[in-house]
Amino acid sequence: MKLLAFGILQAAAMLALAPLLRGAMKKMKAAFQSRQGPPLLQGYYDLAKLLRKETVRSDVSCWVFVAGPRVYFATAVAATALVPVALAGAPLEDAGGILMLVGLLALGRFALAAAALDTGSPFGGMGSSREMTVAALAEPALMLGLFTVALWGGSLDLGDLVRATVQRGLSAHPSDLLAAAALFIVLIAEAGRVPVDNPATHLELTMIHEAMVLEYSGVDLALIEWASALKELLFMTVLVNLFMPLGLAQVMHVPLVVVAVFLYLAKVFLLSVGVTVVEVTNAKLRLFRVPELMAASLGLGFLALAIRFL
Amino acid sequence: MSVPAAWLPTALALRLGSIALALAFAGRPRVSRWSALAGSCLASLVTGMLAVHVLATGQTIQGELLRHQASGFSLGFAVDRLSAWFLIVLELLAAAIAVYSVAYLGHGTLHRRSPFVSIGFSLLVGTVEMVFVADGVIAFLFAWELMALVNAALVTTEHERRETRRAAFLYLAMSHVATGCLIAGFLLVARAASSLSFAHVLAGNVLAPGPGRTAAFLLFFAGFGVKAGMIPLHVWLPEAHPAAPTSISALMSGVVIKTGVYGLFRTCAFGLGPPPLSWGVLILLCGGASAILGVLYALVQHDLKRLLAYHSIENIGIILLGLGAGMMALSAGRAELAAVGIAASLFHVLNHALFKGLLFLSAGGVVSATGTRQIENMGGLARRMPWTALFFLVGAAAISGLPLLNGFVSEWLLFQGFLFGFHLNSEALVRFLFPVAAALLALTSALAAACFVKAFGITFLALPRAEGAENAHESPALMLVPQGILAGMCVLLGLAPGWTLRILQGVAGSLPGIHPAPEMVRAWYAIAPGPGHFDHLAPPLVAVAVVVGVALAAALSLLAGYAVRRAPTWGCGGELTARTEYTATAFSKPLMMIFRAVYRPTRNVEMVGEAHFPREVRYRAEIEPTFERYLYGPLTRGVLALAERMKVIQAGSLHAYLAYVIVLVLSLVLLLWWRG
Repeated sequence: MKLLAFGILQAAAMLALAPLLRGAMKKMKAAFQSRQGPPLLQGYYDLAKLLRKETVRSDVSCWVFVAGPRVYFATAVAATALVPVALAGAPLEDAGGILMLVGLLALGRFALAAAALDTGSPFGGMGSSREMTVAALAEPALMLGLFTVALWGGSLDLGDLVRATVQRGLSAHPSDLLAAAALFIVLIAEAGRVPVDNPATHLELTMIHEAMVLEYSGVDLALIEWASALKELLFMTVLVNLFMPLGLAQVMHVPLVVVAVFLYLAKVFLLSVGVTVVEVTNAKLRLFRVPELMAASLGLGFLALAIRFL
Repeated sequence: MSVPAAWLPTALALRLGSIALALAFAGRPRVSRWSALAGSCLASLVTGMLAVHVLATGQTIQGELLRHQASGFSLGFAVDRLSAWFLIVLELLAAAIAVYSVAYLGHGTLHRRSPFVSIGFSLLVGTVEMVFVADGVIAFLFAWELMALVNAALVTTEHERRETRRAAFLYLAMSHVATGCLIAGFLLVARAASSLSFAHVLAGNVLAPGPGRTAAFLLFFAGFGVKAGMIPLHVWLPEAHPAAPTSISALMSGVVIKTGVYGLFRTCAFGLGPPPLSWGVLILLCGGASAILGVLYALVQHDLKRLLAYHSIENIGIILLGLGAGMMALSAGRAELAAVGIAASLFHVLNHALFKGLLFLSAGGVVSATGTRQIENMGGLARRMPWTALFFLVGAAAISGLPLLNGFVSEWLLFQGFLFGFHLNSEALVRFLFPVAAALLALTSALAAACFVKAFGITFLALPRAEGAENAHESPALMLVPQGILAGMCVLLGLAPGWTLRILQGVAGSLPGIHPAPEMVRAWYAIAPGPGHFDHLAPPLVAVAVVVGVALAAALSLLAGYAVRRAPTWGCGGELTARTEYTATAFSKPLMMIFRAVYRPTRNVEMVGEAHFPREVRYRAEIEPTFERYLYGPLTRGVLALAERMKVIQAGSLHAYLAYVIVLVLSLVLLLWWRG
């Protein structure tokens, strides 16, 4: 029962936080570019507006088109229960670790990419193809980076892993630094940020994720947007908690948890500053240059592995 | 003879009786088909019961099918846990396909040939059973060869087409090379054991470590590798599997290639004594190459059945990755880690049979409804064939290794086989190779997901791209029910992995040197790689979380009022037709460009008409068949050149042949005299 409450609370908190993170990153990006940018809470306004809007669906589409966003949303929500956020433990950590987390997100992507082909619009197909391509290239880099960290921690269970790192403290071992760099690159790809993808563009030459969801509107689009923001927050959470686990509450003690939540917010904010800096200082890569970036990430992963275990 | 031991001969009698009946009614395809397939289905159930009995009690069931008193020659069978596991996999799929085939073989041009295909199917199932239960070299090779011949005959069902005949010939040629290797391998071990019974030949203590043992390993590895479709011995598979009628393709891809895996388990891994590290490394490397190249080649296929055939190579690769990891762990003295790899490999044998069988059956329905195998001519089938679409989607998600389905469980277990207790590995090679192989596995399953988004999306979604797809109708219930059962099993095994893994603990534990940790199964729904907290998997809990997520999404939709309007898709100002849809070629193009080192694509654009105002643009893109061209091309040419030379001694003159015989006999006599 306690676990259930913990899970629901954590999922709700993450869902509530995700649009804010996107808003903050937009605001920072605008500040870097000497613009004013949209309000900090724009993410919530957008969601509220989309939820009120009528949902238009293509008349050639079938149930797959309806199921896509729902599965995408549901897998992202379920994934929050597998990740330690402010506590050194996850509500559903007994149900699966890193592999389940990556698998769940892959399931959501699979559903959305299949649904994108359902309207007959060439944009959907293009986005779906590119999304699956980038995901396929990011997957081995992601796994190798995570495995390097996990094997050193002696567990593939995120809860155990985080607890082990809390006990060991912050590490500046070259292997950890390289793995962190590798996973940072994967984060940029998975979150669809420049230089891999540009969340602000609607130009057919450059769109990846946006092309895939171009035909969606209303509630369907709200679910996709929300889930994407949640997914980005999840990746950031995993990254900060794997490499900077300091301050995570190890027991359910209110003052400790409050401190942990604040520390967690600060760490995620710092990471989002990093992502934004990368976004404003880089141009978007051509699609066929993305593999080089992913290969770089994979190479860093190999190095991290070799340094630790050879 | 104990009671369960009588079940196998009973099943065989049932099978042969129904085949005889089918032959008698060969003039009436419907009756003949029903007889052969119903007999096959029943025989499968009886044999399946035997396998369940063996797995439940753990005792080996032995018996004889035939004994010749005077010579002492007998064909015997022995069903131990390993055999029983493969038998279960076979019978599950064979029973489903038999039901499906009753309806499937009745349509169109196949109807006339359905007695042939049905009888062939039943025979094929019977011979595969014999391969799995044979207790000696003679029985095994006899069944093995019979299986290859029946299979080749079935591939030629549509013999009017040139490529079908070519595929069957290629299959036969490679099968015989494989059988040659196996005979040589078995002769090596049988001679050392002075016996032909598997109990002695494959006891593991026959050959001492040395060149002889390595030679036996390599012969078995090549022989069984061909049958399994392992790269680089795979070239027959993508030709032969699509050429056969779908019922047969499903059985070939689902089970028949597993006879190669079974052989590798029996001989290479556990029949020749403790394997040295290099054997495991070889199997791991071949498995890795098969997995990644199989899925890459599958990505650029637009013939639905060919695409599925290439995925069989990929999945055989995954199975071999598990076996290789297990063997490497075994030689590094890590019995509990070896058990994880072996269990993953065996689990994937079952899972692949389920989802690949399912995908082939769905594809068969699609192909017979649309009259084409090209997915570029399909589309819009989800509205016309909703059940087939649903079942194909389940199979597609399962083969992509997505959670809550069975493919994820075996791949998860395989990841554990690479990573569990990793720091305890003494060999630096193992320590580096295992995480790299795990990353390779991740790439493979991500590429498989990309491929199946394409295969499902282009086939079933959006607008129909050709008339055949426009006028398609749902398959009859008799074809849908087996698909539903297979899809249900994919879900069930994905949600409740504990049951299967408990059985696999027994199977793996019966193999020499393998000791599965009892902690692998925590409950019917929860599994782990071993003791401790390394990792665990409880899919039902995650499924509940996903259901909560879906409920939340539904609640949001309801709360928002949920007004839905249907409108045509925006076609950028033009009319949206099937011609403007994204194609399968376009879908896989980015990956083809990225992996062009593998594909080496050639592209040919031709303009027809005046220079700047072409009337027509012809576009042709091809990928280079690397193995066919650079490995098998020179090999074939070499064999043909050799045959040309050999023609000199085979001139067709009877006198010359008689002279050869005399020379041979004389030299044998001389040899004996000299040695005696």
